[in-house]
Parts: sequence; structure tokens; C-alpha cells
Amino acid sequence: MNKMDRRSFLRQLQGMLLFAGASMLFPSALPAQQKSPDISVVKGGIEPAVKKAVEMLGGIERFVKKGNRVVIKPNMSFDTGPERASNTHPEVIRTLAEMCRKAGADRVLVLDNPLRPAEKCIENSGIGAACDSVEKGMARTVTDPSRFSEVEIKGAGSLKKTEVMKEVLNADVLIAAPVAKSHSGAGVSLSMKGMMGLISNRRVMHRLDLHESITDLASLLTPQLTVIDASRVLSSGGPSGPGRVLEPETIIASADMVAADAYTVSAFEWYGDRYNPDQIKHIRMAHQRKLGRMDIENLKIGKTSV
Amino acid sequence: MRFRTTARALCLVIFLLALAFSGSIAASDLFLRMDPALVGAAALAGRSLLWAFLPALVVVVSALFFGRIFCGYICPMGTTIDAADACFSRRRKTSGANGRISVRLKYYVLAFAAGSALAGVTFAFWAAPLSLITRFYGLVIYPVVLLVSNTAVSAVYPIASFMDFRALMFAEIPTPRYTTQIFVLLFFAAVFAGAALTPRFWCRYLCPSGALLALVSKKPVVRRRVSPDCNLCGICARGCPMGAIDPESPENTAHTECIACRTCSQICPKDAVTFSTGPAEAIDSPEPASPERRRFMFSGLAGAGTAAVALTGLNVVATDESDKGVVSPARLIRPPGALPEPEFLAACVRCGQCMAACPTNTLQPIWFSAGLLAVFSPSVTPRRKYCDPTCTACGHACPTGAIQTLAQKERVWAKIGTAVIYRQQCLAWEYKKSCMVCDEACPYGALEFEKRPDLPYPVPHVIEDKCSGCGHCEHACPVYNQAAIVVTPMNSLRLRPGDSFEYEAKTRGFDLSLDQKDEALPTDAAPYPDGSIPEPGQQESDGLAPGFDKGG
Repeated sequence: MNKMDRRSFLRQLQGMLLFAGASMLFPSALPAQQKSPDISVVKGGIEPAVKKAVEMLGGIERFVKKGNRVVIKPNMSFDTGPERASNTHPEVIRTLAEMCRKAGADRVLVLDNPLRPAEKCIENSGIGAACDSVEKGMARTVTDPSRFSEVEIKGAGSLKKTEVMKEVLNADVLIAAPVAKSHSGAGVSLSMKGMMGLISNRRVMHRLDLHESITDLASLLTPQLTVIDASRVLSSGGPSGPGRVLEPETIIASADMVAADAYTVSAFEWYGDRYNPDQIKHIRMAHQRKLGRMDIENLKIGKTSV
Repeated sequence: MRFRTTARALCLVIFLLALAFSGSIAASDLFLRMDPALVGAAALAGRSLLWAFLPALVVVVSALFFGRIFCGYICPMGTTIDAADACFSRRRKTSGANGRISVRLKYYVLAFAAGSALAGVTFAFWAAPLSLITRFYGLVIYPVVLLVSNTAVSAVYPIASFMDFRALMFAEIPTPRYTTQIFVLLFFAAVFAGAALTPRFWCRYLCPSGALLALVSKKPVVRRRVSPDCNLCGICARGCPMGAIDPESPENTAHTECIACRTCSQICPKDAVTFSTGPAEAIDSPEPASPERRRFMFSGLAGAGTAAVALTGLNVVATDESDKGVVSPARLIRPPGALPEPEFLAACVRCGQCMAACPTNTLQPIWFSAGLLAVFSPSVTPRRKYCDPTCTACGHACPTGAIQTLAQKERVWAKIGTAVIYRQQCLAWEYKKSCMVCDEACPYGALEFEKRPDLPYPVPHVIEDKCSGCGHCEHACPVYNQAAIVVTPMNSLRLRPGDSFEYEAKTRGFDLSLDQKDEALPTDAAPYPDGSIPEPGQQESDGLAPGFDKGG
């Protein structure tokens, strides 16, 4: 190896400094910064955090094109308020809906098939009123079997077919916007588990293998964008609560639903303990089936505060 | 005539609208409370007089002045029978009294109902017109109308979706289903078939409310009077739908049978018939068909006797508190606020209005499963759907207070039963699957899970003091057909008016709340962790949260 003389060292240093200076002026000049993160994690107020998290992934325009039909899937299965963290915070949904509208989406719908009486869920979750401020009648519940169509799931292990909301099948873009919460059956209820709110027959999934069915369903209903609401986390007692509510004031977004779920699992306490993503069977299976990645240590995670 | 047609149509429409919206509007039970036989039987059998029964008294008093105007102008049963008659009967309407059946029969029906009510048993629902017609429209006609409507709405969905017409796109009309509805239908087929014999067959011969009103309208103040212009042509007698006019001498009127419909005065070629307080010289029927005293007494005794037989049925609910020796259906769940069972059965007139009002369609009529006494009484059917713990629709709809009207604050404490888990059917217990749907569905936080070393997934337990019996769990249980968690009537609160459900529940150690706090964990947790952006962590403990595994 040649010994570096002072001159060449200074020349190199000069070059590096110039490059670094230029990089500060033009952040995109750095090759590493050209690629947006796989997962964005933003701490702060809900509206700015949601906007920032999506912006870090390349902006809403990366996911929603002009004239697109968009379905946003929140958690609004329970007739309880945001403080209990059983439902997605209405501000998350309103912000996302507004962003989609601004991106030129033709039709934006917020849809769920709730467990509790439908009108009460829309009202008490606060999502109905929040979405009305963007566009009247945007948040809806669908329960009648005639509004679902049977779809085959190719390559499924358990759930070979299911009935999906017709309005979801009609959509171009699906956005998962779950709240981060524990689930006594599935471990956690995040974006993958949340897709159960878009189908008609959920009971059968428990009779089969719940985790494998969730994975099967995720292979059919794969959101282009996942925004996980961890402004509050229902760390125990989920999915309905009441339980321990953490307040990390964080929004997690990714184009990879499995990665978003995996990060969320590992980032928070569940029942007072920390866990690895592979300890949730449906996340593990989704990774194995290459629906997404749970090896977050190998993924680029962008973090910031607003 | 036009006035009468309008009045009847209006009454029927109001009745139907009140039934359709019985869950959400006040006084939806007004028509039921106007039915003299129904209210009389409920008051007699339940040994209670309520202000709610006032409308029936008004109807009875009205008969003293105007005769059976309730039958002729208001009763939705009479209007329906006439409408069915007009639809189905091709025969030209003649009044022809049926010689073989006596109009006295209805008095004996009334006596039977009164006799059984005196014995503390209500049988009036087999014959009281408003009970019958509410059941008919509520349990038979209305579900069909809603099914057809929802099918129509669903059919236009593709167009609505294409046009982005949200109101129609997401319009879902609930389609209730009921058990026993085929028996109600058959019963009404028979009632309508009676019109083939004579018009208003039911009203003439069988209606106990008609009988009760007949008893007080022997000589109403305003009644049919015939002037000397009458030429005895008999057209009125042939046209009378109630057979109240003597064909031999049409100036004679059986006022007990007359419903003041005024058909006779409309069709009289001589304009000789008036309904008025009129001149004293008008001739009245000298011998109205009064009930024969002995037969009347016998019918009353028969009613009391049948009541006694019914009371000796095996399934009858015991009147003593010990509950020993009671064989009642294991799954008979009464609606929230139902009176203590014996009083409930006495007061309930089986109109089915509570079932029509029930927004989740969980209230169903039972047939003979709880004996002759309980036929058509309401039962919560959680497998169909849960009983919403904030809903008070059935109590509001109940005409006799058999189901109390609960204040919202009290409602949550009105425990109707307790859930029990059949472990040998449970997906988590027996089949070792990940489930806990019961916990997910429970609004009372009454399910807790246990992680057991011998089972791979957490298994559920019911905390019985926190369970209200609402049936969210049974409805949601994914086990096919027979659920693995079911609601039983155990520890249901059956209180009398004035008693507080909250007080009674707390006295018995129940902890019923829709806003349970998890005592094991602090709920006001600090921002996590240290206000910084959370780092992906590594497993720090062997403690496995429910639904997590060891990874791999």
C-alpha cells in the first residue's frame, strides 16, 4: 500500500469537503439520499407527522395518481373514542384523505366492516365527522353480503377464497391506516390483520389457521401504502381495549406492509415486554412468502421529528 | 263514506309507521293501548292499572256515546280484514247472517280470556285484534317488505357505484328474520278465509274487543235511526257488513253489532237512515243478541280451567324464589328490563312490537319451548345478533310495561344473563387454535385470557361479574353453528318498576361497565420511551404476550 503524502491527503480532503458542502446545498446529490427510506418514522403532532412520513417515502404522488380511486382502511370497528386506542385516530384518516384529494384522486373512501353497531362506530370513533370535513359521506361501513364479491386467493395456504368489498375491488389504490394495538388472538393488529375489515366472512379465518389466513389475505389485499398510527399504542387489552395506552406520538409509514408491521412490533412494548417481529406468526409467514420484509435491521429506516 | 275511508286509511298508515319506527319514536304503542280486550287482559292478569292503559278506557267510553266506532274507523285489524276481503273475495258482498254461527260466540271468547286473566294467565293474545295485527305486520309483512327493498337497493349498487352516488352506494336496509312467522301467516290465512263466509267474519263472531265494546253499546247516544220514510226494501240489511240489520224489519238495528260505518245510510234509496241522537220515536231492536249467562259463565270457567292446566305445565316458571324443580329452557333470555318472569308473562300481550322495534333482530318470539304460557313471548337470541347494551328500544315499544323503559344510565346495569364457555367446542381450548374473538367482541371487558403451558394459544375465561349477557361473544364466536360461548339466563336481573338496576347489580357484586379500566396496568402511561423516537428492540423477556410465539 502506498503511503499517503500530505499533498495528496490535502487534495483528497479538499475534494471531500467540497463534496460535503455541495451535498448540504443539494441533498439529493448524495447517492445514499437519493433512495427514500423503506420505513419512515416520524414523531410529532399527528397531521404534520403523517404528512412528513409520507413525504419521506416519496410523497403521496408516488402512490396516488390523478384520477385514481382510493380506499383508506382505518380501524373503526369499535364504538369508542380515540383515547382508548382501539380505533385509528380521526386526524390520521382526515390528513390522509386530504392528501389523496390534493394528489387528484377521483374517489376517496374510508371503509370498514365493523364489529359493533355501524353508525355508532362511525360516530364515536370520530372518523365520520373528521372525514366529513374533507368530503361529506366519505367514511362508510359496509356489512351487507351483497356488497362483497367472492375472490380466489392464489397460492393460499388456508384461506383459498374470500368475499371482498366490491368498492375495494373497484379501487386503484389501497391505503392501510391501522392503529397500533395488541390483539389477544393475532398478537398484534396492524396493517395485515386490519385487512380483515374489508371482507365479509371473518369467522372462517379463525376456524382455519388465523395467522396463515391473515397472510393469505395480505397476499390478496396488499396496500400500496401503509401508515400506522402509533400516536397512541394499545399495548395490552387489545383489540377492543381497555388496556394500557402508550403515547409515543409516532407515525410509521412504508410501501411494504410487512415492514411497517415488523417495525411497529419491535418498537413498542406489548404487555410490558419487547418482542421481535418474527414472534408474530403472520409477519413471519409473510416474510417467508416474500410478501414483504420483516428483517428491519437490513432496511433503511428514516427517522425524524416534526 | 269518504270520511270513513280516509279515517281508516289514515289510522292504518299511522299504525304501520308507528310499527316501522317503533324502536325510535315515542308512543309507538298507542294503538295497542287502545285495544280494550288486550289492555283488559293485561291489567287483570297482571293485577295492575297503569296510566298507559287510559286509551283503552277512552275507547270503551266512546262506545257508550257513539257505538263501536273503534271497530268501524280505527282498528287496523278491521281495515286489514276488509282490504283482504276486497282483494280475495270474488263473491258479491251480501250481509247474509250465517245461521249456524252465533254472533254471541265472541262473547264467549271474551269470557274465556277474562276467565284466564282472572286466573293470572293471559290468553288474550290469541284473539285480541291489536296483538294479532301487530304480530302480522311486524313479524310477517314488514320483513318481506324490507327484504324486497334491500334486494332492490343492492340491485342498483353497480349503477350507484359508477355514478359515485354515495347515499345509494352504501344504503343497507336491515332485513330482520323471525321464527314462528309461518304460524302467524297461517292464522291470518284462516282469518282472511273467514271472509268467504261473511264479510268481517272475524269481527262479527270472534273478536273479544268487539265483544267488549258491544257490551257497552247496546244503546249508544248516537245510533242508527230509521225514519218513517222507510219502505222496508231491505237493501240496507243486505249491504250491512256486520249483519246488524234485521232483513225482515230493516228499521230494527242490533246496535251491539253495528260499527257505525253508515253503509246503510249511504245506500238507502229513501234517505231514511240517519246516525243521530235523533227523535225518540225511532225503533230499536228489542232483543240485542246478549250473551247467554250460563254459556258466558261456562266460557269464563273454561278460560280459568285452561289457565290452570297451563300453569301445571312442566316448563312453567316457578313463582317461588328458590328456583328448585324448575325446568325451563336453558337458553331463554328475556329482554333487558323484563319484569320478574311470572309478572312478565302476565303483562306481556305477545304483540311482537318489541321484536319489530329491536334494531339487532335478536328479539324473537318463542313457540312452545317454554310451555303454553309463554307462546309468542320475546327471547334474546344472541346467535342471531347481540343485544346492544346501550339500546332501550324494546322497553319503549312495550305497550304494557312487561319490559320496562330503562333510563340510559340504568340500561348498562340491566344484566340479562351470563356467558358460559363450552370448552370442548372452543377453538382455543379444544382445537388449539388462535382465536379470542369473544374477547374482541365483548364490550364489558368480561373476557380474560389465560396462557397455559399445555396449549399453544391463549384460552378465554368469562369473568361472570363483569358479564351482562349481551351476547356479543356468542354472536361473534367463529365455531360453526353451535357457538362455543353461549349466554344463559343465570344471574339475570328481573326487577319491578321503581327498583334500581344499578343498585341491585352492585349489591350482588356485579361490575358492569362499558368503560372498564384495566386494573392490572396503569392507563396513564408516560410518552414512550423517554419522549424519543422508539428504537426497534430486542426481546428482553420470556413473557409471551397473547398471540406472540417464540419466533423462528
